[in-house]
Amino acid sequence: MRRKRIPIYKRILNEIEQEIRIHPDYADLHNQLGLLLMGEKELERAEGNFLEAIRLNRKYGEAILNLGYLYIQMKRWKEAEKIFFSEAKRHPEDGLLHYVLGILYLQTGRRKKGITRIRKAIQNHPAYGDYDQKKGIGKRGAFHIDQKTEKVIKKISLNHHYAQFHNFVGLYLAKKGKSIQAIREMKKAARLKPDEFLFHANLGTVYYHQGTYRKAIQEYKKALKIDPLFGMGYANLSYIYGLVRRTGEALRYMEKAVQINPKYADLHYNLALLYSDRKRYREAVTELKKALRINPNYLFARINLGVLYEDQKKWKEAEREYRRILQITPEDEHVRRRLERIS
Amino acid sequence: MKLNRDVQAYPLSSKMLKEDFVIQSEIRRILIRTNINYTKFNFGTVKGVVYLRGLFQISHHRSDEDEEKIKELTVKTLYSFEKKVRSTPGVSDVIFQFINWRKERGQWVPIEPKKKKEEDEEKKDPNL
Repeated sequence: MRRKRIPIYKRILNEIEQEIRIHPDYADLHNQLGLLLMGEKELERAEGNFLEAIRLNRKYGEAILNLGYLYIQMKRWKEAEKIFFSEAKRHPEDGLLHYVLGILYLQTGRRKKGITRIRKAIQNHPAYGDYDQKKGIGKRGAFHIDQKTEKVIKKISLNHHYAQFHNFVGLYLAKKGKSIQAIREMKKAARLKPDEFLFHANLGTVYYHQGTYRKAIQEYKKALKIDPLFGMGYANLSYIYGLVRRTGEALRYMEKAVQINPKYADLHYNLALLYSDRKRYREAVTELKKALRINPNYLFARINLGVLYEDQKKWKEAEREYRRILQITPEDEHVRRRLERIS
Repeated sequence: MKLNRDVQAYPLSSKMLKEDFVIQSEIRRILIRTNINYTKFNFGTVKGVVYLRGLFQISHHRSDEDEEKIKELTVKTLYSFEKKVRSTPGVSDVIFQFINWRKERGQWVPIEPKKKKEEDEEKKDPNL
C-alpha cells in the first residue's frame, strides 16, 4: 500500500523528534515516532524506536504489537511470531492476534497449527471466516496456502499499521484544534480497521468538539456497538443529547455510564442534575451522596445537595451541608449567604 | 427564618429557568471549544448558577512566548469565556472561584502567589 507523502506527516515527525530530544524517557513519544517512521518507510529506525519504547515500559502493549507488525513488513517471521504468540497468550479473546499468528504459522509451513489458530480467531470473531473466503485462504472449512497467504498477512499488517498511523495523526491534529484535518485522518483509520472501537470513539469525540452532533452520536454508537463496556462513550452521548435538548436520552445514557463506571463522582453528579431537572429529588439526592462518598471534597455536589434539601424544606440537612462547605472553603460568600438565609 | 435582601443577586428561588444538566453540557461545550486548559478546574451548576473553581490556565500557547503575552492572552480568554458563560440560556449567575485570577471592579486581575500567601496569613492572625 502506498501512502501519499503529505507534508503534515513530515512536520509532525519533526515535532515528535524535537520532543524526544527534550523528553528522551517518554515511551509514548518513541512509539509515536516509530509509527511515523514506518509511514516514511524508515523501517530500521522505526524498529529502534519501538524497542526503546518497550525498554522504557516493558508492558507497553501497543508498542509491542507495532513491533510485531513491523517485523511482518520486514519479513522477519520468527520475531513476529514470538511477539504474536505471547500477545495471543495474554489476550486469548482477541481474534486478530490468533488470526495473524495462524497466518504466520501457515506462512512458515506449520499447517496444522495455523489452521487451529485461524479457527480460534473465527470462533472469537466470525468476520475473519468471511475474510478468508474472500481472500481465497479458506474455503468450506479447508485452508489453502499459496502466494496469496503472504499478501494477506502483509495487508493485515499494513492495515493495522496505517490505521494506527492515521489515528495518531488525527489525534495530533485534533489536539492542535485542526478538526477538519483530524476527521479526515481518523476516517482513514476507521476505514482500514472498521471494527476498532477506539477509532470510532475518537471520531465521535472530534465531531463532538467540532459541534457536529449528529455525526458524533453516530460514531459513539458505532463504538458502543463494538465495545458495549465503553463507559465514557455513554457519558459523552449523554452530554451531546443534553446539548440538543433531548434530556430523556441524556438520562438513559448517563444511567448506563454510571452503571459501567460507578466510581466516577462526576458521572453521579451529572446523573443527579438530570434527576433533579425532572424533579426526581429522591434519586438526585442518592446520586449526590454517592458522588460525595467517592469525593468528600466535591463542593458542587454538596451545594446541589444543600439546595435540594432546601427545595424539600429540609432546613437542618441543608444547613449541615452548607456548614460543611464553609469548613472546606470559608471564603465562599454565596454559600455563607445561603446559610444565613435559612439559619 | 431570616431573609436577607442582599442575596437577590444570587437567585434563591426554587423555580428553575432552565435545566441544570443542559447548562452543564453547554459549559462543557464552551470549554472544549476554547483554548482553556480545563483539566485544572471543576465546574458545577446549581439552579442556573454556574460555579467554576480551580486553576485557570490557557493552552495552545507557544512554549517560547513571554510571560506578559501569555498574561494578556489569558485576560482576553477570561473576558470572552465569562461573556459566553453569562450568555448561555438559563444561566442566572456565574461564580468564579479561581485560585489564580479574580474579578476586581470589573477587571480580571491575577492573584500573585505571594499576595495570596500574605492574605492567608492575615486570615490566620486577626491582629494584623
